[in-house]
Amino acid sequence: MSKYLDLNIKEINELLKKKEIKVSDLVKEAIERIENSDLNAFITLCKEEALKKAEELDDKEVDNLLFGIPIAIKDNIVTKNIKTTAGSLMLNNFNPTYNADVVELINEKNMVIIGKTNMDEFAMGSSNQTSYFGPVKNPWNKTKVPGGSSGGNAACISSRLVPFALGSDTGGSIRQPSAFCGTVGLKPTYGRVSRYGLIAFASSLDQIGPMTRNVYENALLLNAICKKSKNDLTSSDTNEDFTRLIGEDIKGMKIGIPKFYISDVIDKDILDKFKEIVSLLEEKGATIDYVDIDYIDKCVPLYQIIALGEASSNLARFDGIRYGYAAKDIDNIDDLYYKTRSQGFGEEVKRRIMVGSYLLSGENVDVYYNNALRIRNAMRNSFLDKFNSYDLLIGPTTTTVAYDLNSDLDDPNKSFMDDVLTIPVNMAGLPAMSLPIGFSNDLPIGMQIIGKPEDEALIYKLGSFIEKELSLDLDPRGDKDE
Amino acid sequence: MNNYLKTIGLEVHLELKSKNKIFSSSINGFGSSANTLINEIDLGYPGVLPIMNEEVINLGIKAAIILNCKINKKMHFDRKNYFYPDLPKGYQITQSRTPIGYDGYVEIERDGEVKRIEISDIHLEEDTAKSTHRQNESLLDFNRAGVPLLEIVTKACIDDPIDAKLYLEKLKELMLYADISDCKMEEGSMRCDANISVRKKEQDKLNEKIEIKNIGSISNVVLALEQCAKEQIEMYENNESIRAQTRRFDDKLNKTVLMRYKETVNDYRYFPEPDIPYVYLDDERIESIKKDIPLLPDELRRIYHEKGLNDISSNKLINNLSLSKFFNSFLDEEIDLVTASNLLLGDIASYLNKLEITIADTKLTKDKFISLVNKVSDNSLTSRNVKDILEDVLEKDLSLEEIIKEKGIANITDSNELSDLVDQVISANEASVTDYLNGHDRALKYLMGQIMKASQGKANPAMVNKILIEKLQLKKKNN
Repeated sequence: MSKYLDLNIKEINELLKKKEIKVSDLVKEAIERIENSDLNAFITLCKEEALKKAEELDDKEVDNLLFGIPIAIKDNIVTKNIKTTAGSLMLNNFNPTYNADVVELINEKNMVIIGKTNMDEFAMGSSNQTSYFGPVKNPWNKTKVPGGSSGGNAACISSRLVPFALGSDTGGSIRQPSAFCGTVGLKPTYGRVSRYGLIAFASSLDQIGPMTRNVYENALLLNAICKKSKNDLTSSDTNEDFTRLIGEDIKGMKIGIPKFYISDVIDKDILDKFKEIVSLLEEKGATIDYVDIDYIDKCVPLYQIIALGEASSNLARFDGIRYGYAAKDIDNIDDLYYKTRSQGFGEEVKRRIMVGSYLLSGENVDVYYNNALRIRNAMRNSFLDKFNSYDLLIGPTTTTVAYDLNSDLDDPNKSFMDDVLTIPVNMAGLPAMSLPIGFSNDLPIGMQIIGKPEDEALIYKLGSFIEKELSLDLDPRGDKDE
Repeated sequence: MNNYLKTIGLEVHLELKSKNKIFSSSINGFGSSANTLINEIDLGYPGVLPIMNEEVINLGIKAAIILNCKINKKMHFDRKNYFYPDLPKGYQITQSRTPIGYDGYVEIERDGEVKRIEISDIHLEEDTAKSTHRQNESLLDFNRAGVPLLEIVTKACIDDPIDAKLYLEKLKELMLYADISDCKMEEGSMRCDANISVRKKEQDKLNEKIEIKNIGSISNVVLALEQCAKEQIEMYENNESIRAQTRRFDDKLNKTVLMRYKETVNDYRYFPEPDIPYVYLDDERIESIKKDIPLLPDELRRIYHEKGLNDISSNKLINNLSLSKFFNSFLDEEIDLVTASNLLLGDIASYLNKLEITIADTKLTKDKFISLVNKVSDNSLTSRNVKDILEDVLEKDLSLEEIIKEKGIANITDSNELSDLVDQVISANEASVTDYLNGHDRALKYLMGQIMKASQGKANPAMVNKILIEKLQLKKKNN
């Protein structure tokens, strides 16, 4: 079995350019790795389509670093003629007639879509256990969860099935599984990446982002997917090279740590490892301060109100009439709605729709939703205020490392509490990246770098610096496959 | 019956005349085959997002200006959530908190008295798909899904169904003239819901109201409101109470029919649409739209009056948008506008009605019409001449002069020839001449008729008239 996919992107690109390997070699290798994997990372493997595309590319000129590279797409990002399920029975038969904007953009780079990755149903969950297609296993320990909702992506990047993936992050769905699986994941500034074609969970929080093996490759993929879209009114104008600050010295950088991010709800191992990083940064010439962010301790209930309120509305379109699952043996229209939505959605999704509907009902919309928007705004302003004094904010990504599959399934709050450190970033619309900084009992620990709006390049600068200083071995296969 | 007061409010939905739908690039059209003017956005497919049609916002601003509304310069859209098969996303994008216009009014005139009908708000929203029900199945046409609507809501300030009718007629006239909507009730581009409650004169507090949905014509609005008021009064007279409810009007039976009770207030779970950022309307944009508003009916009535048209002609013109638009293009020309309006409303209108076409479908150019009006007003063409050539004028690409020549319409304008003609008739009708000289003016008309007859209708009447009077005056003098 070849091992081209273990090389970094520049090495692969050189081989392609020198015609020492073909795109088909890469795609075949990826398919072989996926077929031999038992992580359940993929819902749909696009074997034939990918091989066909690879053959077409074999004759083409290699014109960019991402040319011919296999990429996995989270299954809530719509792909033309490729089944797109959002991890739900509701869309198990859904073959879109259109591409998400990001899919068009990676096609322009001639990347090869290898398959659609497993995820929590409609991105609702943080352990990949709400997927209709079964849980994904953590490559570092197959009795552990990979995190979620982009768990399939994190597992497949971590275990080197493919080097690139596109995920989505509403409250931490890129960063939390990246932390659990020892990979690099970035949630861009809200509006950086077009949401057109991302099956909506919570529209004011959702954002598509890159998931990769390392920081440089992450910035490279972000370069490819940022473009103002006429299809998304919330997308912003953007044209820059996110890799441009990578390799620069961090001396004189001012870094803040929100006190909330070092509270005692966080595991000691994680805090210890994080403090080591803080010492390292100080030693290398950065100044570190501790800061307070208003309302950050209220972020979970705020998130529940906003995300579930919006979700209850966004998921109303799944009614069994135009596409997707439709219940049989129905008597009338109400019966169709009732049975289709009872049978087509899983328990967690139904719970969130019900809570969200309640939160928007009658007077509740003012008591909860509209108030939450106001407090969220105050929290965002508090964050923005900090960026007058600090270049970046940092903290751990999660309070624990990956936990056992099937644990705490009865606690509906568990999945929200898992995201307590990632949610504030979505609420404030900021960019943030998780990257691995070490291990606790052989399970990866992630840290988060948060930037001011549109400042992803600076996040990558600090991230790549830490990555280089630590030089961790992040391949969970260890010597097993040698 | 007379012991009761009526309180009426109206909700009108207008389909706006934009090229595309409000939140997608699909064509906004009526009458195409079912489900041909659609895309993924109109169907509410997973992952799609709305785009914003600026033309629709401009039409909304125009309507707000015309309806004397205040404008929300920072506005957003809201989601109205409910389940129905014709609602593809499970929510309608509408405006709840920040309607594009609010606190406006329309002036109506009744028996010479001007009344204001107050408008509480006007807001933009998307239309639903159209459902057609057959026995045990329902068909959905999504061509209508996403068509832009303007909803215009009055305050409950109307106390007489006739005022409701006058308001609707005025609203229709305004929106038609401003090119905001076709306002065709039969095609559904104008729809009307009305609500009405009645109470005893001595009672201050309003009673429960009844809503009448989707009334088919303006005249039916009057009938429905009158009938619904009658039904309510009968119930109160029988000591029955009235529950909030929605009814429809059956115009064949002339009665209202219960659709549903409304005790459980519909919970639409309104919240701000997160997929559409705030829309900011600056003064520059509003002013430039204001400048482009064409002349509206009230202003036109004033101008027509100034130009000498009588009220009947004015109203006839205003009731015919395309004729009025054509006529208005001559307001600054040096032509006889009374003759112009008579021609348009007379022979030209009957020709158009007969063929069911509009003036734009004919070959009548501006220049051709000006020549026609001038030739009629200086009497070089008689009304019979006009009837003879009208078809050619409207159907052929020729100039008026060419048509006159082709049709062989040759007026006798040679004054010697006419003079001889007049002399002949005068000597042949001495009795009439004497009558005239004795002060019987009718005799002049008779003599004119005789001259025209003698010329086989070809004499120029104005010239004949002039020559005849000269000759008769001369006789009078010589007597």
